[in-house]
Amino acid sequence: MSGRKETVLDLAKFVDKGVQVKLSGGRQVTGTLKGYDQLLNLVLDEAVEFIRDSDDPLKTTDQTRRLGLIVCRGTAVMLVSPTDGTDEIANPFVQPDGA
Amino acid sequence: MLPLSLLKTAQGHPMFLPAVMGYWLWLTAGELKNGETYNGHLVNCDTWMNIHLREVICTSKDGDRFWRMPECYIRGNTIKYLRVPDEVIDKVQEETKSRADRKPPGVGRGRGRGRDDGVGGRPAKGIGRGMDDGGSKGGGGGRGKAGPVGKVAGGRGGGRGRG
Repeated sequence: MSGRKETVLDLAKFVDKGVQVKLSGGRQVTGTLKGYDQLLNLVLDEAVEFIRDSDDPLKTTDQTRRLGLIVCRGTAVMLVSPTDGTDEIANPFVQPDGA
Repeated sequence: MLPLSLLKTAQGHPMFLPAVMGYWLWLTAGELKNGETYNGHLVNCDTWMNIHLREVICTSKDGDRFWRMPECYIRGNTIKYLRVPDEVIDKVQEETKSRADRKPPGVGRGRGRGRDDGVGGRPAKGIGRGMDDGGSKGGGGGRGKAGPVGKVAGGRGGGRGRG
């Protein structure tokens, strides 16, 4: 049944493009995707980390810190999305679903 | 009903329901850690529950900030739960049923292969050697070689060589 060995994560289209990565533990990083492997280890160039609120580590602030060229370990990568087209928006749910 | 079958169904298994494809799917990634909610069209998922969403709206844990992203990949092990439209439940039962129908042949094939290994693997070696020896060298040579072969490959191979 588990015959599908391929992953859904086709990162080839993000290479040399800006990506946003959320890491387990809460860190959030953006950078240019330079490379990746099947374990989802990522190489990010010109990476920038968003500093989090010291009072509430779940919230990111406008402060950033430049990291340069980094390797994100795949096991810590929670989410990958392109930075292009990613914007903060107003509440799109007319009636937010509580559940 | 298996959770991943349900997800596969929601994703729109080509065999079963292209009609269900593109359902909105609610999922929460790692709520204990960040509680963010991701809401989008399920494009694809795999056996690790890694998920590819399109037209995603991300909601912060407290529900007061929202982000729109064209697509995102979410690692399966961070997912706490997924919300799937009720209609998918009906469809997935079709799938599990037809899976069950397909199972008997699968089991049969498995058993067959196992026996192949047993019968074809070791004894074949013994038989092959024995026949070669007999053919090329005649009685004396054949018997001489058949001894060691018999010891290595088992009683059956040895028997053939001598005969």
